[in-house]
Amino acid sequence: MSIRMTRRGVLGTSLAAAALPMPALAQAKPDRIVVNISGGAMTNLFRRTYFAEFEKRHGIRVVDTSPVDFGKLRAMVESGNVEWTVTELGGQDFVRAQQMNLLEPLDLSIIDLSRYPEAVRNTTHTFPSSVYSTVMAYRTDVFPNNMHPKGWAEFWDVRRFPGPRTLRNHPVDNLEFALLADGVAPDKLYPIDLERAFAKLDEIRPHVTVWWTTGAQPAQLLVDREVVLASGWNGRFYDIARRGAPVAVEWQGGSAKQNAFGIPRGARNAVWGNHFLQVMTDPKLQAVYATELAYPGLHPDVMNHVEESVKPHLPTTPENLAKQFWLGVDWWTEHGQRAQEAWNRWMLRRG
Amino acid sequence: MSSVAEARAAPSRARPDPERARERTLLLLAAPALLVLGVLFVWPLLRLLSMSVADGTLAQFEKAALDSLYIAVLWDSMEIALFVTAICLVLAYPVSLWLVQAGRLGFILGMFFLLLPFWTSVLVRTYAWMVLLGRSGVINRMLRDWGLIEAPLPLLHNLTGVLIGMVHVLLPYMVFPIYAALLRIDPDLKRAAEGLGAPAWRVFLRVTLPLSLPGVFAGCALVFVISLGFFITPALLGGGRVIMIAMLIEQQVREFLDWPFAAALATVLLAATLVIYAALGRLTGGQAHAAR
Repeated sequence: MSIRMTRRGVLGTSLAAAALPMPALAQAKPDRIVVNISGGAMTNLFRRTYFAEFEKRHGIRVVDTSPVDFGKLRAMVESGNVEWTVTELGGQDFVRAQQMNLLEPLDLSIIDLSRYPEAVRNTTHTFPSSVYSTVMAYRTDVFPNNMHPKGWAEFWDVRRFPGPRTLRNHPVDNLEFALLADGVAPDKLYPIDLERAFAKLDEIRPHVTVWWTTGAQPAQLLVDREVVLASGWNGRFYDIARRGAPVAVEWQGGSAKQNAFGIPRGARNAVWGNHFLQVMTDPKLQAVYATELAYPGLHPDVMNHVEESVKPHLPTTPENLAKQFWLGVDWWTEHGQRAQEAWNRWMLRRG
Repeated sequence: MSSVAEARAAPSRARPDPERARERTLLLLAAPALLVLGVLFVWPLLRLLSMSVADGTLAQFEKAALDSLYIAVLWDSMEIALFVTAICLVLAYPVSLWLVQAGRLGFILGMFFLLLPFWTSVLVRTYAWMVLLGRSGVINRMLRDWGLIEAPLPLLHNLTGVLIGMVHVLLPYMVFPIYAALLRIDPDLKRAAEGLGAPAWRVFLRVTLPLSLPGVFAGCALVFVISLGFFITPALLGGGRVIMIAMLIEQQVREFLDWPFAAALATVLLAATLVIYAALGRLTGGQAHAAR
């Protein structure tokens, strides 16, 4: 008898729950969200800034995972088992992630982009988190008194600027650098003339002792004096220069691009993912991030919160931005695989 | 004739065969492990392989087999794996011989140094090699200070660096099978050979070496197969100049999300590995048999 009563009780409760108006369910808070980022120093910084602020504002714990992995994102979405609430999207992947329908649309009523630059304000699926740049760096003791190569044509000039160099083992950026070295104007880079780019790369090839694969490598190679000139991500050089390494950055010919975040399609707490991205628009937090890693966010006020001494090291200060070009993400999205095969073939060709 | 064979076979069939029963028990004991392997390894592997022909054609294989790039890289990978296996074998055999007859302290020390690479992350290990082998690394600086060389030796960012890094990691996989095989050799056999007047080198060539061949084969097969799949170590220590097939597969999987083509490359790699494995097995198996 009592069992039957209990059963009926349970049934009644669940019916009542089903009859509840929808908003009550939508507001149900999860106890945590999962944010997937590159890892390393970035995780600590995210913890101190965006994670801490989100936890304070919403009372939901943020769990971090790494690394950023495009293949895993696709596997998650296609298998319907999405672990991440929000994920960083590496390199040029954000366009393809959207094309391949791997992302939830952003809720721009939650994420306020009204003050963002016009070029990124109308984004539908990817959140423009910050700007970074592939730049040239050099040993200040080898090239003192501002006598270092200024631009890629001089990077290619091994007679005036002797010494081993390192470039990334990847066609992105390098094809552009080669064309710039060959005298192509920055606004005429695309569509990339592969043949011309590789012909120019042939010239520098014997002087590139290392083709780097991880972001930490070019900085380390400069510190160890393995090379005297390098290409690399601006934040890595900023980091070692701040810690006293005789290394400086030349912005001329730098390849600027935006870093992006997105919400994987089918993510369980997509609403809270949007709320997290809204926290990431905070210019004060973006300034902390820019000061530590030299990767500034795109909120126009971020520069107001950054110390004067940091500004020369950021890719988005006007004088630096004027020296760089914006990487042609659309070209790479369409031709990346073909360019990579050409690159592999070129790498294999001679020693 | 056939009736004679049947008559001969009949008694053994009638009696409960202890060998058979034992085999059945072993199979039963292994069943959980086999089940786990089946579900977590064989099934995903089959799904991956089926991905390469998902479009109903062999177009992916055509590309993998006809494009000179992939053939060249597969060939290079085989060559590197072969080098690594050979170097490991040359280094591991004396080490194993020494371990078998070493005292307790020697054994513990030897094992410690052999296992050390296992306890370090691949990245840390690889960066450590960069510090040692670089142009102004520890080794080059030492050689220069002693006046042995004038220009730094190119030890890093080339094939030499890749081979050093890979041998370092894979050495234990060669030592343990050989060590186990040497341990199993009945010491009486050696004593008998010595008693019959064989000098030490002949004892080694006629007794120790042939009897340790199964271990050598197992070690070679392990090292070779694992070598083929390497990609972090060659990517970092090769300075971009050394490309192995696993690096290209990873590129297709993670960067271009071209999974059908990645699956085709993986299938080609798997097939090539199995063929070489079988050939090695036949070769070494035959020799070991002849020695007996």
